[in-house]
Formats: sequence, C-alpha cells, structure tokens
Amino acid sequence: MGIEGESIDSSAASVGKSLLATVNVRCSNGSKFSVQIALDATVGAFKTLLAEKSDVPTQQQRLIYKGRILKDEQTLESYGLESDHTVHLVRGAALSTASTNSSANLGTSATGTTAAAPRDASSTDGGDFGGVGSASPLLPGFGASGVFGTGASGLLGSGFPEFDQVQQQLTQNPNMMRDMLNMPAIQNLMNNPDLVRNLIMSNPQMREILDRNPDLAHVLNDPSTLRQTLEAARNPELMREMMRNTDRAMSNIESSPEGFNMLRRMYETVQEPFLNATTMAGNTGGDGSNPFAALLGNQANIQSRDRSTNPSVTDSDVTNGSSPNSNPLPNPWNNAGPTPATNTRSTPTGEARSAVFGGLGVPDLGAGGMPDPSVLSQVLQNPAMAQMMQSMLSNPQYVSQIFNMNPQLRSMMESNTQLREMLQNPEFLRQLASPETLQQVLSLQQSLFTLIGRQQLNQGQNQSNGATGMEHLMQMFGGLGAGVNHGVPSNPDVPPEELYATQLSQLQEMGFFDTQENIRALIATAGNVHAAVERLLGSMGH
Amino acid sequence: MGSEGGGSLVVVPRNFRLLEELERGEKGIGDGTVSYGMDDADDIYMRSWTGTIIGPHNTVHEGRIYQLKLFCDKDYPDSPPTARFQTRINMTCVNQETGMVEPSLFPMLLNWRREYTMEDILIGLKKEMSSPQNRKLHQPLDGNDDQRVEQKGLVLRCAIL
Repeated sequence: MGIEGESIDSSAASVGKSLLATVNVRCSNGSKFSVQIALDATVGAFKTLLAEKSDVPTQQQRLIYKGRILKDEQTLESYGLESDHTVHLVRGAALSTASTNSSANLGTSATGTTAAAPRDASSTDGGDFGGVGSASPLLPGFGASGVFGTGASGLLGSGFPEFDQVQQQLTQNPNMMRDMLNMPAIQNLMNNPDLVRNLIMSNPQMREILDRNPDLAHVLNDPSTLRQTLEAARNPELMREMMRNTDRAMSNIESSPEGFNMLRRMYETVQEPFLNATTMAGNTGGDGSNPFAALLGNQANIQSRDRSTNPSVTDSDVTNGSSPNSNPLPNPWNNAGPTPATNTRSTPTGEARSAVFGGLGVPDLGAGGMPDPSVLSQVLQNPAMAQMMQSMLSNPQYVSQIFNMNPQLRSMMESNTQLREMLQNPEFLRQLASPETLQQVLSLQQSLFTLIGRQQLNQGQNQSNGATGMEHLMQMFGGLGAGVNHGVPSNPDVPPEELYATQLSQLQEMGFFDTQENIRALIATAGNVHAAVERLLGSMGH
Repeated sequence: MGSEGGGSLVVVPRNFRLLEELERGEKGIGDGTVSYGMDDADDIYMRSWTGTIIGPHNTVHEGRIYQLKLFCDKDYPDSPPTARFQTRINMTCVNQETGMVEPSLFPMLLNWRREYTMEDILIGLKKEMSSPQNRKLHQPLDGNDDQRVEQKGLVLRCAIL
C-alpha cells in the first residue's frame, strides 16, 4: 500500500512539475517575452499559444531550441525543454505546400505523358488512402534505382547508357538485380556516399526534392540506409517484409490523430515530386530510357507478384512488368544527351537534350521515336553520331579504359586474350564504329531481347541457366553498346583535321571545298575517301 | 613564476567549458540570434552539437534558418570544432558539396583561440553572411521551409526501404 501511495505521489508530483513551465521566447526582431506552458504539450499547441502573444500566425512560426527546429507533432519535453530555457521564434515563409505543388506542376508540364503522377494524385484527392500507402512502396524503386541508375554515371562523370539497358533487364528479372547487387564493384559504389549523392544530384528534379527536404537528403546520404536499401533489393523476402512494415507503419500513423494529414502532407511534399522526378526526369522520348521510371516499373512488377491484388497498380504497369517483350528497346543515347545539362538545375533536361541534339542535327530524337528500330538506324547513320563514335574509338587507350570499367567486360577480356587483342586493335575498333556494324549489333541485341522475353514467358518464374546465360550475353552487348557510345562527351585526342589530312587534301583536289563538310563526311566514313565522296554528293543532291 | 602566472589565467577544462556553453545555449544567454544545443544528452564527451543561425536582415539569408552540425572533438577547446552546414547554403567559406565550413576560408577557425566558443563561431558565420561578398549570393531553394517531423523522417526511411 505504502509503495502504491508513493508511486501515485511521485506521478502526481511529476504531473505537477510539468504543469507549468516558464519558457522564454526570443523573437528574431530582438523582443523577448515569456509564456507558461505545460512541458508535455506539443509544439503545435505551444505555437498556438505563441500566436496569441506575438503577431506571428502558427503556420509561419519557426521555433528553434538548442539549435534544432521544433516540430509540431513533438512535445516540448521531448526536446529537453525546461523551465527558464529560451526558445527562438522566427517568422518563416508561409506554408510550403504551394511551392511544392508548383514544382510538381513544373515536372508534369514538361510532358503530359506520365500517367503515374496524375493517377496517384487523383487517388489521394479522392481520399483513397490506399493510394498513398501503396504508392510508398514505389519508393524503394527509387532507392535502388537512384543508386543504380546513376551509379555508373557518377563513376564516369556522364550518363552511362548501359545502365538503361541493365535497368530494363532488371525490370524484367529480380534475380538479375540480385546478381548485379552482389557484384563487388557495385557494392563498392554503394558504399561510397559521395558517389550516391552525386548521382542523385545529377538528376535536377531529384535534387530539387532533396533541397526542399533536408532530412530526406540526410537519409539518402546515409550509407547505412543505402546499404539497407540494397540489402532489401537483394533479398526479395526482406523486401516483402519491409513493404509490409511500411504498410503497417502507415496504417498506424493513419490511426493517430493528425496522422492522416501528416501522411498527406508528406505525400504532397515528397512522394509526388519524387514520382515526377522518377517518371519524368526530363525524358520526352522513349519510356524505357529513364532509369528511375524503369525501376518504378520494376517495383510495380514486384508488387504485383508479391501481392496478388493491388488497387494502385494500373493495368499498364502490370503489363509492363509481366510481358517484358512489349518494352521498347531502351535508347542508349537518351542519357548521353542531357549530360552537359546536369549541372544547370534550372534547365529542364528534356529541353537541354533536344537542344544538344538539335545542334548536332540528329533528326527527331527527342520526339520519342527511339523504340522504333528504323529511327535507331537512322540515328546510327547520322554523320554526327558516327563522328562521336569515331572520335571515341580512335583512341584505343580510352576504349580499353571503358572496357576495364565494366566488370563483366573485364572478366570477359581476362578469360579471352583474343578478344583483348581484338579490342586493342584500332582497326577493329574502327570497324566497330562503323554504322553498319553498330546497327547489326543493335539488331542482334534486339532479337536477343525478344528471345529472352519469350523464354521468360515460357519458363515463368523458373529461370533456367540458359536464360541467365543469355542475359549475361545480352548485358555484354549492352556493355559494348555503352562502350561505343560512351565517347559522346569526350574529346578526341587527335583532331579530325589532322587525322584525315591526306584524305582532306584529296577531297580538296576533287573540288569539294567545304572543309567542315569534308571532315564530317570523312569521319562518318572512317576516312574512306570514296565513301566520303559518295556521301558528299548525296548530301548535295538533297 | 612569471610563466606560470601567464598560464594561470585559469584553463577551464573541456567539460566545464562545454557545460557552460550548453547552459548558455539552452537559456539563450548572449547574442540571441543564434541557438545551439547538444545532440545527444547521453554523450558524456559532449561532442556533437547542433547550431542554428537565423539569416541576418537585409541579406538574401533573411527569413532563412540555417542548421549546422558542430563537432567538438576531445581536444576542444584547444583546437576548433568542425562546422558543417546541414542546410544548403551558398557562401564563400562553405564547401558547396559537403556543407563544411572550410577553416582555411573562415578566419575564426583558422586562427582559433581557446576562448572562442561555438556561439562565437555561429555569430561569426552570421556576420559572414552579411558580408558584402555573401549577402547577395544566390541561394539554393529554401530547404528549411518544411523541416520534416522526425516521425516523418522515420516513415520516409521506411518508405524508401
């Protein structure tokens, strides 16, 4: 009894203690006043009290204590506030939702093609909470893809088109993803937070979101989080478990007062821009080309597999996931284009890209014809493209460097000396660079894609070794494509004028006086004067 | 004796010094335009601190709240703490990528003196914000507008996972 009484006393005392504390408030204009408030009150309640005492409406109040910004949902106690302590009151900007929305619109205005953002938005508007809950597991897609999609690009300092391809495959095959993630090279990548940061920052829209949400940035900058993410991606069981946890957390929060609104806010400030960033990323062209989008597709795929029914996954997503065959061939050049623009945050990427390619005279690249093989071949035959490849491949050292960076290619080379010799032979590389070869490689690749898709369909979930082998083969080709393509941002060591000095003079003698035109033709034809003449005559005819 | 007399200007031990700073931070003693406190009340070494600078008036920083991490290693206050902005800021002495305040570009850290406190650093940084070379610098989008609720951060983490 005595003990009981004592405990009651002590609890009463603690309540008494928390009853009223005098808190000094210091405004940013220098004025000071003090208020009395129970320390177990929430910051939100404290703000309401302050709104009466000062002329700052609660929404504009920013409270700072011990260097931290107090959050509405927390209690004053939880920050360690005590009587006679001082809290700083700053008048902040009005509610941030407006700016977030505008940025979301900014994302969508680039193209009207993304179905994801509007769809999800409408589901929240309708008060369908399932929309939020189910949208959130989409984020893991980002987690992994952010890491992935740009992992290599951080490494090479530019868009690395191979990853498009890989991503495309990943969308179709979780096993593959696991394999990839187990690769030591990738793990090294992941353990480097700077790199990840870099790659996230290279997506202007992503960056904007992170700018707006420092905590989120913190999460993303935390290597352990990333590791966890990858761990999850590697292990489907874990992934499922995490999704379940997330859903439960969501419903828990939902049931707490204000929880729904909080989630809604969170959705508005984070999820939507995220989706926009992931689905748009300024890509006006082929839909398989955006790594984030691809991963989102992947996510949808996994989801639909894990839970047989999920209202938020639209039909298009499901079909996208289950029949890999229908996916357009990723455009390996899509990423290369916007690379120069990644630093200029304000420039919409799509615009920048089309500007870049417009300058090069590549027809219609941004318009979205990429999945079409004929357009692809058109691009391949484009002199400018050929020039880029030429310039890259003319430097064997560079090529080998690229190949060394691709772990799979490297292992391939190590096991096959002949291949290495081949790759170090400039003549071979030149051949490789010729549009015809590339086209052949691409068509081969595409047929492989189809083949694999068919195989997967046939075999369902049971992946035979054959299929996996096939994929590796395909990846290799992807690597080749990437290697070939990678020269886009690089400068050739030898200027074409020097490289083709003799051919140039020959052309001059033949009466082709436009040096620039000549160089272009020569580059396109790999220095073959006859072909160049034909090309020049052809262009004159047009 | 003479040399001892010079040294006997009472060398306050690290812990006393930090406790004093902690109290000043909590009670808002001093300038009042900066706020700071310890991150983890259980850390007996009192190493990790958070500071907040309210953007000075008549600069681009007005109305912004900058949060930064201060880390006092065990040799504090003999050597300066490290300061890293958590809020994105464009400022000459701050590394754009990491948010670190570069000691080589911020005289107070470069010529550190034992009497300097974290508050001094914060105030110094605030002064730096209103210096001619910093007051008009274009600033990144306000990242502070909607500081996440901690719970929210947790959910986000979950969501990302």
